[in-house]
Amino acid sequence: MNCSEKELPAESSPTKDEFKKCPSTPNLQNIRDLSSEHHREDHANGYLPIGNRFHQEEAVSPSAGSGRGSLLDLYGDDDNSYVQVSPTPSHHSLRRRSTDAGGNRTSTTRSVHSTTTKRRSAIPELQNLDRYGFRKQNNYITLKDYDNWWQNYSKYCVRRKHKWQLFLTKSGLSLNGDSPTKFPPQSEKLKRYVRKGIPAEWRGNAWWYFARGDEMLNKHKGLYDKLVDKCQAEKVKVRDIDVIERDLNRTFPDNIHFHRESFQVEDPLMIRSLRRVLVAFSLYDPNIGYCQSMNFLVGLLLFFMNEERAFWMLVIITKKYLPEVHSVNLEGVNIDQGVLILCIKQYLPELWTKMESTYTNDGEIGSSDQQDALKQMEILNKLPPITLSTASWFMSCFIGVVPIETTLRIWDCLFYEKSHFLFKVSLAIFKLCEGELVEKKPSLLFSQNIFASFSNESLLSNHTHDWAAHQNMNRDDYDMILFQVIQTFPKKLLNPNDIFDKVLFKKKIPLNKLDQDEIDKIRKYVISQRKKWVRFNKVLKKGDSSSSAIVAEAKVDSRNAAVSKEFGMSDDMIADVLASELSGFKRMSLAGVDWNTNIKARVKQMKQQGK
Amino acid sequence: MLQFKLVLLGDSSVGKSSIVHRFVKDTFDELRESTIGAAFLSQTIKVESEDQQEVVIKFEIWDTAGQERYKSLAPMYYRNANAALVVYDVTQEDSLNKAKAWVEELKNKVGDEDLVIFLVGNKVDLCEGSDNEDKRAVAATLAKQYAEDQGLMFDEVSAKTGHGVKEVFQAIGQRLYDTKKEELATRQRGNGNDGQVDINVPRPSTNDTTGCCS
Repeated sequence: MNCSEKELPAESSPTKDEFKKCPSTPNLQNIRDLSSEHHREDHANGYLPIGNRFHQEEAVSPSAGSGRGSLLDLYGDDDNSYVQVSPTPSHHSLRRRSTDAGGNRTSTTRSVHSTTTKRRSAIPELQNLDRYGFRKQNNYITLKDYDNWWQNYSKYCVRRKHKWQLFLTKSGLSLNGDSPTKFPPQSEKLKRYVRKGIPAEWRGNAWWYFARGDEMLNKHKGLYDKLVDKCQAEKVKVRDIDVIERDLNRTFPDNIHFHRESFQVEDPLMIRSLRRVLVAFSLYDPNIGYCQSMNFLVGLLLFFMNEERAFWMLVIITKKYLPEVHSVNLEGVNIDQGVLILCIKQYLPELWTKMESTYTNDGEIGSSDQQDALKQMEILNKLPPITLSTASWFMSCFIGVVPIETTLRIWDCLFYEKSHFLFKVSLAIFKLCEGELVEKKPSLLFSQNIFASFSNESLLSNHTHDWAAHQNMNRDDYDMILFQVIQTFPKKLLNPNDIFDKVLFKKKIPLNKLDQDEIDKIRKYVISQRKKWVRFNKVLKKGDSSSSAIVAEAKVDSRNAAVSKEFGMSDDMIADVLASELSGFKRMSLAGVDWNTNIKARVKQMKQQGK
Repeated sequence: MLQFKLVLLGDSSVGKSSIVHRFVKDTFDELRESTIGAAFLSQTIKVESEDQQEVVIKFEIWDTAGQERYKSLAPMYYRNANAALVVYDVTQEDSLNKAKAWVEELKNKVGDEDLVIFLVGNKVDLCEGSDNEDKRAVAATLAKQYAEDQGLMFDEVSAKTGHGVKEVFQAIGQRLYDTKKEELATRQRGNGNDGQVDINVPRPSTNDTTGCCS
């Protein structure tokens, strides 16, 4: 999650002011006024205003046409307008599409009572929001780009939904009034359908189904309510409560459902739900508690399902899909970044060569062979700079990294195909901007490095931004370009099909061979290598200063039993390293053999020194 | 042009991202999304050399997540950093303690003696005017004294109004320029002025041999 993506360019600030002054949409205001208690109890209906199960709206406007429809149009009308202004000043009409029990889509128009001021200020704003209440426009995407894309993509969504309806019907599954709860068994066809996008109004149910939410919920019936009651009644001291509170209003602050107006005494309904889920979770799993990024995960889930389900989905995500990623030491983040780096090395070798050239080794050991060996080892531990950017991709499962519709398509596949899909998407993003990254060749001849230029100050003063574009750019420049591209490029992926059609559906692109089995194996490998590194590091560091002394020290120090054993039995250790070299890649083209040869040499050398 | 890596550290919600955005884009958002992992931004400034020539300095800025547990990722962020902006919130007493912990961590883990650490108290706008004086939880004198004892640069700013923000980066740039200039002069004498200088000079090693998690 980057702090810049929701920021508007300076010229759009009047709109933003307008937004802030505008007391939200009349409907939403009413929604927010509903009691939170009611919201929590009404698990079946009490979640976000999307899809056809937005019952709060019914409560607000009993006069509504079909009574089943969304606040925001999920697909967009043919005239591409969400809101039509009624000529009568005391009403405004929200034109939208809804779906009846048979799944037929109908258009209804209905009126909502409200004051003129509220209405008028709200209307232009709604047009600038997408179907989930996010701003269409940001620093990277213009309103025009958005509308042009949406015109086609909304049609694509309608087509896909139709295909899904046929698929379910043919599989003998009920559409359950446009809210199917069961989906066909796993198959290539289903995988393809999921990859092409689950219909927006089915997402909550589909994610829940694919993640096996019911299994979890049935095992712990009523637990969520108990946890919430516990938090509220006993005022239990939750360890991370301060951090949670500070993050609530910093979760999708620009989204209309999360945005709190300055005049509002109470938090919006969504924020209250978010608080309950996060606090309940930190009670439920004290090993994780609360980790920044979980606010966004739950926030997004709440668009599609009720609190209780969102809670259990968070449990499933943190346990099954992203183990250890949100734990107190964030070790899972480091492991996944190690895995990602190995994947880049394996599937995008050209890019890796470029990245590696910017990754400098702090090691001070003699020969270059040894340096290479240590550098290789270090990579999985002192991760390359690019992982500063990519760590958040995994923590937030791409929320805020790519535009919302693209995020949702990734989530569809995440729950169906498990965590390897996040790696696949990461590689696909790198693949898409590979050209941009590989072309920018950092000069390996640092003859024109900054200090050479620095000696000539008159030259310096003439060199500003152009300097970076100079073909003899240095490593720092390349790093900056790398960071910039990797941070900016995904934010422009407005059309999910860009990434799916151009990369993920292309069987000839090697990265598509990556599967869950492979990722699980690489993960195990990285875990073992990271643990080993800690031990090696102790030995190598101490070995440098005085090998014999360290052997003696290790032998007497019981805490260093493992070190002692390893050092004393280095042949075993070498065997151990070689055995663990099975990194999980189907094609074993990792430079593992060289690496091990070097370690072997190093250990032998140390052993001799020790004698 | 000189290029320096700068990292922002500090407790969650003290305004790290807001300070960077004020500096880089001159904008402010009352509610900003919490930063996950880290965000990269860059900005150039100009400092003056002794002979009043303009020297361009480019900052590579890493804005980090503030929650305690992100500390385990922090070595990744401050590795090879030339400067650190350690931020606290003048209305939150505990945030200064967190800032002090960051200063300790930097001093222990970063081997570079030239690392510039700038302690910044943010949100002074909240305690401006006689009505709001009671909102201040950290006295400027107290933080200043601490900074002096620790050899840190120090100032109070407001990302909201922009007060003092640019000056902080300007001061860091000037300090880095002055330090590195001497370093360069020394090296050039040693190298016989052949223009071949060690590329690592602007990005000194932090001797961060412990890695991220060990």
